Amino acid sequence: MSFESDLLAILPRLRRFAASLSRDRADGDDLCQAALEKALRARDQWQPGTRLDSWMYRIMRNVWIDEGRSRQRAARTFAPEEAGEHVGHAGDQDVEAHVMLSDVDRAMHALPDEQREAIALVLVEGLSYKEASEVLGIPMGTLTSRLVRGRGALIELLGEAA
Amino acid sequence: MTDIDEAMLIAWVDGELDEVTRRRVDRAVAEDPALAQRLETHRRLRARLSGHYAPVAAEPVPPTMRSLLEDSAKLVPFARPAPRWRNWSIGGAIAASLVLGLGIGRISDGPAGPVTVSNGVMVAQGQLASALNGQLASAQQEGPVRIGLSFQRKGGGWCRSFEGSTLSGVACREGEDWQVEQLIPGTGPATDYRQASSTDDRITATVEALIEGAPADAAEEAAAKAKGWR
Repeated sequence: MSFESDLLAILPRLRRFAASLSRDRADGDDLCQAALEKALRARDQWQPGTRLDSWMYRIMRNVWIDEGRSRQRAARTFAPEEAGEHVGHAGDQDVEAHVMLSDVDRAMHALPDEQREAIALVLVEGLSYKEASEVLGIPMGTLTSRLVRGRGALIELLGEAA
Repeated sequence: MTDIDEAMLIAWVDGELDEVTRRRVDRAVAEDPALAQRLETHRRLRARLSGHYAPVAAEPVPPTMRSLLEDSAKLVPFARPAPRWRNWSIGGAIAASLVLGLGIGRISDGPAGPVTVSNGVMVAQGQLASALNGQLASAQQEGPVRIGLSFQRKGGGWCRSFEGSTLSGVACREGEDWQVEQLIPGTGPATDYRQASSTDDRITATVEALIEGAPADAAEEAAAKAKGWR
């Protein structure tokens, strides 16, 4: 198997991970594409014999964080002007650009990044705590506390509490 | 009255508890309906999240992503310098076989070349086809192509590995054709120091992946040739 065909084999899972990190499916696929491009550039850094999926999860998560930072920077830079231009209908534009966000999408998006990535890896991707904490580079105790807090928030947002 | 905390409940749902702790949680849950309710809430949440995103993984991969990978795979053997690959020969073989596997590209160098594309697959023609049809590995003759091994593939049918100065590879009999399973750059102009018997690792790997049993001996090979490799 080659690097590319191995990537192709795990791509459906990578897309799912990207979707769970992102605001919607379109953003998820943009993220996935960016992560693939980065992986192809960095292929020399992958050690054959190690888990390609963990390596890819890590790359994707880093791309996601970097993009989040640059989005935030852009938001800070442009916000005053944009806010002036679009007062009153920014929300509508949002809805037009990203239609049909489900409750789950919205709830996941409302989580702090560090909780969302933990939830995505464990609940959506089905990684073990050990695998997820390795991908995120955090101790297992930190992971579990993020899982507890993230789940609490989701239960509240989704009205799952009985 | 219970020492079961939220982290233990979710670890139960995530399958992360050891047997002893899991039983302890089970017992506590059996005695405490409120705890049972919380456990059920966490179970439902996990099921809802994984169910929500599951369809993404079931969809076909978008063409843009697929072609990104396929284009990258095509570049490897031809354009990308590979000095940093420790196991470059394996990588090259993989890349070459991926190109074949994906059915991309036209490897033929024209109607007179050794390989052409017919019905979407690569088949041998010209001198390569003649060598595959007529040459015996056991009775090697001088020529542009040298037959390495003749063998039966898993699932039946004859395959033969070949080496030449321009192209080396493995081809398998499909009807009247020799379908090329692998194609790699040839051995280059003969050099004195090169051992005639040193088969490229890439070819060896393909043969090992395809072969059923042992390669044909001289008698089996001659018999197979006599029957037209059927």
